[in-house]
Amino acid sequence: MSNEKITDAAMNAALDGFEAASSAAENAQSNALDFDDDPLSATGVSRKSLVIFFLIDTSGSMKGKKMGELNTVMEELIPEIRRVGEADTEVKVAVLTFSTDVRWMYSTPIPIEDFEWARLRANGVTSMGAAFKELSLRMSRNSFLNSPSLSFAPVIFLMTDGYPSDDYKEGLRELQSNSWYKFGLKAALGIGNEANDDVLAEFTGSKETVVHAYSGGQLAQMIKIIAVTSSQIGSKSMTLSDDTGREIGEEDVFAAKQKLLGQQIQELVGSQVEESDVPFDTGW
Amino acid sequence: MFNGFSQSVMGASHEKTGLVCQDSSAFKVSDSYAIAVVADGHGSKKHFRSHIGSKYAVESTIEAIDRFYEDTEEFEANFPKYHKMILRNIEKQIIANWNSKVAKHLEENPVTDEEKSKFTDEEFEKIQPESYYGSTLIAAIAGRNFTFGVQIGDGTLVALFEDGKAVMPMEYNESAPANVTASICNSNAATMFSSFYTDQKKMIALFVSTDGLYTSFGSEYDFLDYHTIITSQLVNLEAFKQIIVNNLTKRSRFGTEDDISLSCVFDEPLLNDSIGLIKQRVEENKQEAADRKAESLRKRV
Repeated sequence: MSNEKITDAAMNAALDGFEAASSAAENAQSNALDFDDDPLSATGVSRKSLVIFFLIDTSGSMKGKKMGELNTVMEELIPEIRRVGEADTEVKVAVLTFSTDVRWMYSTPIPIEDFEWARLRANGVTSMGAAFKELSLRMSRNSFLNSPSLSFAPVIFLMTDGYPSDDYKEGLRELQSNSWYKFGLKAALGIGNEANDDVLAEFTGSKETVVHAYSGGQLAQMIKIIAVTSSQIGSKSMTLSDDTGREIGEEDVFAAKQKLLGQQIQELVGSQVEESDVPFDTGW
Repeated sequence: MFNGFSQSVMGASHEKTGLVCQDSSAFKVSDSYAIAVVADGHGSKKHFRSHIGSKYAVESTIEAIDRFYEDTEEFEANFPKYHKMILRNIEKQIIANWNSKVAKHLEENPVTDEEKSKFTDEEFEKIQPESYYGSTLIAAIAGRNFTFGVQIGDGTLVALFEDGKAVMPMEYNESAPANVTASICNSNAATMFSSFYTDQKKMIALFVSTDGLYTSFGSEYDFLDYHTIITSQLVNLEAFKQIIVNNLTKRSRFGTEDDISLSCVFDEPLLNDSIGLIKQRVEENKQEAADRKAESLRKRV
């Protein structure tokens, strides 16, 4: 081979890979990097990211106080979730509403910094099974979970006030075969007397991650507890080794996270002060 | 004709835990071909020598390509005709080179008591010696009349052909078992490669990177646009080298905190001829990114 050139740091890195690399990083830091003068900054750096899915029942029975309260709480909640992600996680939000039809609030998960709540209206029946199918379709690397920076399994939070009007079991079976669902953190909130906690526990996989709100005050408390706690746990990097240094599987990590979520939710719910506000079902 | 650069930066998380950088990277250019290669050592407990394994993966690949190019005329004549078979042979040669380097290193540097101390005897017995050195590997090669790439494990190959669009041309090996992370240390590693080959398009620039780069982006569009911007900067290569160190360090520090390696080769005369087109693509990409963001923020309910 004539005129062959093996250039500077290139072969240094080839022959002394880790040394060249570490010294590059050290030099870069000691030179007090000027990150502002960077022609590559047009494509921003993304932190480790997490998607929170809210599945919200917007059927006719949610009309009135329940829907009004839910809209208000969700508007208030956004800044609180923003704070969860501030340190080192980019939180994205996707909202799927279900009544007679299922509909996404936005066409893709939105970074929490850009997210604005669109006030929801209630109407129609409770197509929960259809919502499960739609969620399963979108929880894919080819769809809503296509961000390269996605580092954590999603948080999935279901809120409903009634019994499903379609075959929810068929939808749930489809969802249960989705790996993102299997490894995701799942929690559910039943609103009012008609919500069936057994159905919700089927969705989350355990009763510990199901809570119930019977009044506007409780609804606000429960939504905040679940959303904030699950985002915090969901974005936590848990070690893949146990106390003895033995490596444990990813499935064990996700199971540990789901268990921790159940414990924390129950502790927080137990510590809530009873408020004397009017139950949703008064006069219903 | 060809030029290039390569860079590895240590991940912020590795700095915190005192781990050495597990990545290696290199490029090599000659009159007839150019190769860019990166490797990402697995870094977990049982792969305790993976920083050495990634260095060997990079060296093994360059040596394999060198060997196939020993008779340049014959290789250039045969490769377009028999590229599938020759690609398999290149992959086998890379694995053979790597296994030989690992065996030699292990013979000269037996596992120390300190290395063993992290395992019970029973645990340690179960680990295949090659696994100590486990690494991924991804390489892009530009010849005078064709372009190809090989990959085992994570990592991304991006190509800018003469139309100035950044694409990921690797054809992924769907037959590799889905639940096994492909690694150069697997006993059936030679069957786990993915590859691509084309002689239909002239390449302006080829890039390979370890997973730490890809995962520092919020979208694949941004990741591809990033490569177009880099290509637009390659006309001032010396000035660009410091820019890329800074940028990769920033991406590791504020992104997923992983090691990041990026290696690139490019066709210098074709780049100079195409620089107007590349700059136009950079501007178009910016506009398309703004349009995508506006569309994503449109409420549907």
